[in-house]
Amino acid sequence: MSDDTSGTPLVPHITSEFLLWLWWYSEHREGLFRLGDPVGDVTLWIDDRLAFRRPSDSRLTAVMTGDNPSASLEARAALAGGKVLHELRIGMKRDEREFFVTLKGPSLHFQATKLPPVVEKGEEEPIHSRLYFYDELALIVGALFQYFGALRTGDEWADVVPLIQAWVAGEA
Amino acid sequence: MGLLKGMLTAARFRVDGDLPTDWRERYRDGLLDQAFREPVVRTKGEETEGWVEIHNLLDTDFANHNRWLYHPWALFSLRVDKKRLPANLVRATLEKRCQAWCEERDTTSCPAAVRSELKSSLEEEWFARMLPTVQVTDVGWNVADKTVLVGSLAEGTLARVRKRFFRTFGLRLVPWSPLDILDDKAHIDALLGSSPEAWGPLSEQGDWS
Repeated sequence: MSDDTSGTPLVPHITSEFLLWLWWYSEHREGLFRLGDPVGDVTLWIDDRLAFRRPSDSRLTAVMTGDNPSASLEARAALAGGKVLHELRIGMKRDEREFFVTLKGPSLHFQATKLPPVVEKGEEEPIHSRLYFYDELALIVGALFQYFGALRTGDEWADVVPLIQAWVAGEA
Repeated sequence: MGLLKGMLTAARFRVDGDLPTDWRERYRDGLLDQAFREPVVRTKGEETEGWVEIHNLLDTDFANHNRWLYHPWALFSLRVDKKRLPANLVRATLEKRCQAWCEERDTTSCPAAVRSELKSSLEEEWFARMLPTVQVTDVGWNVADKTVLVGSLAEGTLARVRKRFFRTFGLRLVPWSPLDILDDKAHIDALLGSSPEAWGPLSEQGDWS
């Protein structure tokens, strides 16, 4: 099969900035993302994994895991030292449902995704429920990226950048 | 991958093309045609692949839509069986058999043709009695929004699934990009043309991989 349909390009720096923005925003808004219809409000927190790389190299150069790694000095130091986020594990709560997922790389692949427990019994219903939860997760992440995309291409972004830079430097 | 249970890891694709009106029947036939089949003859370096039901890698009852179609999702798995002999063990055993051949004939060298025959015989004997390694990759196709999840992030596995998907359904899988989420073409163009921000004094402004 010839791969003559390569699709929409990946923009590695944009997805890395998206992950950083999620991290920064979650710390500054107590994790509350007001995403509007159809998603509504979502609470988001950084879970137990952050992985960094150099922009010019796809190999990971620093991985932080365990309890609350986003609060560690090493995590900010990695950013200040020129490393960029390649993987970020987040937890999210929408209504009473909790999702955990590692967003990975320029494609934002879903890795080690933990969906809400399925309570239905039988053969078909659990499958539909699980696929529904996956769709819900994709909807939330999509809404977060849309929110970021509008911010990143708008005038407000120029005000956000110095705030994140100060946060990275430990000044905010 | 865990599309049905456990942790889920998946690469996303978009389906390039539209569904034919008789897609349910066509895709059923495609899955049946490209289903996994146990090889009749065991051959050297054997690798066998094909679609199996997502519920059990031994089942290929795609004639029954209820076993793979959970509207709007079509669910199935790619099974790949591989047999690979341990090269060092083959080499050492072959040496022993060559020595035995020489001793039987009171000679010191084993001709290349004989050596080759002994090797083939050894491989055939071992392939026949060894179990394959079995890799199963789940595929979930949302036929309504034309997205496909493939339960692996390994490039080789993804390439294999894309190839068989095309062979089965006549549709190409295009790698999904986060920019596909965006509705506004102006936003997409702006992001494609944007430059990376510098977050610290040591941030690199060179090419990104």
